Amino acid sequence: MMYYILLPFMAVVLVVLQSKLAEILFSGLVTLELSLIVVIYAGFRLELWKGAALSLVVGLAMDCLSGSLLGLFTLLYVFIFLLAWFVSSQIDSQRLYLIAGFSLVCSAAESLALVLLYQWVFGFDMVDKILPVLAPQTLLVSVLSVCFFYAMRRVERLLAYG
Amino acid sequence: MFFKNYRAVLFVGAVILAALFLFSYGLKYDVGQSLVQRLALGAAAPVQKLFTLCVESVGNAWTRYIRLVGLEEENRKLKTEIGELEARMTLYRQGHLEAQRLQALLSLAEREPYRFIAARVIGREQAALAKTLWIDKGEAQGLKPGMPVMALPGLIGRLTNVSLHSARVQLLIDEGSSADVLVERTRQQGMLRGAGSRGCVIRYISKIQDVREGDVILTSGLSNIFPKGLLVGKVVHTDRADAGMFLNIRVAPFADFTSLEEVLVLAGEKKDPFRERKAAK
Repeated sequence: MMYYILLPFMAVVLVVLQSKLAEILFSGLVTLELSLIVVIYAGFRLELWKGAALSLVVGLAMDCLSGSLLGLFTLLYVFIFLLAWFVSSQIDSQRLYLIAGFSLVCSAAESLALVLLYQWVFGFDMVDKILPVLAPQTLLVSVLSVCFFYAMRRVERLLAYG
Repeated sequence: MFFKNYRAVLFVGAVILAALFLFSYGLKYDVGQSLVQRLALGAAAPVQKLFTLCVESVGNAWTRYIRLVGLEEENRKLKTEIGELEARMTLYRQGHLEAQRLQALLSLAEREPYRFIAARVIGREQAALAKTLWIDKGEAQGLKPGMPVMALPGLIGRLTNVSLHSARVQLLIDEGSSADVLVERTRQQGMLRGAGSRGCVIRYISKIQDVREGDVILTSGLSNIFPKGLLVGKVVHTDRADAGMFLNIRVAPFADFTSLEEVLVLAGEKKDPFRERKAAK
């Protein structure tokens, strides 16, 4: 129960943290999407209920705090979570290179979906941003996901065995 | 039973529906003023402030550190520069003082009708028995034993040993030194002898003569060693209580022998073209 109570606050903290880090490290030019990595991790390591709740809440927090269209990230994160959840039965999350590849695919798909949706909904042409912004962002997510999964594995072991 | 078997599928469907509903709601009504957005922004504000504060603190500390590192480097550089400037300043000060001393010596050389050879003091011996100086000029520069040596404002001694490029000066206060002198005021003559740390004493002036403290003593020119009229010193003490025939007179030389750095050796009389022409005729 505590998980569901703390989840919204943690989601807000996560979104603020990632925007702050991106501001410090990349002067806001590239988004550091830690939230996406967390959603992928939830797909691999959490129960369906908990993971779905997490992807919903984190997506909603992203929508509210990043100034994007309400429900856009919620929808994307839910789909990515479900994809990860289905894939988790096929991919061993211990193999970090697979995680890196899956994260790369998810991030690329998300970027592509964003570009297409923005073009469809608002008529914004974001194709010129794919290489300078979205491509490094995708690679960054891929690399960071490996670090995140490795760190979380250590944490899980620590919690399980002390 | 149905719900139990398909619980996961139903849940997934519900979640997707919720997300789609939210997205379609956002597409249709989103103006950035929904309750959820306001709540999220309200919750994010303190977190944002906290992070900003942390980042600023770290940033300030880093900036201060960088500045401190810069200051340390600058401080080191400035210290080196100060050291160099101080060394240069000492050099200039030494040069200035030397110039002043040489100017004073030059004025003495110009004032007196003699030919002088300037020399630098390269060593001094102030032992109990000998009070001498070493100078950096010798035979090669025309110096000969017996030549008087002067420093402002007058006589300080004479040359005793002369080598090719250096010479020893026996100071007036050396116990072995002697010179014929006279009292400027009364023209009374006597013999000046060195007395070491007590300065000099004058002998062979009768007790009936009038010699007072403060009288100026000059060379008399009788011995042909020292020319007449060179300043020697000043009477600082006279004593008539002694059993002998002569006054006991103590003289303090004008020159400060402890701080001599340059001296003038009196090498002879200045050549006077008029006098030479007259002598030739």
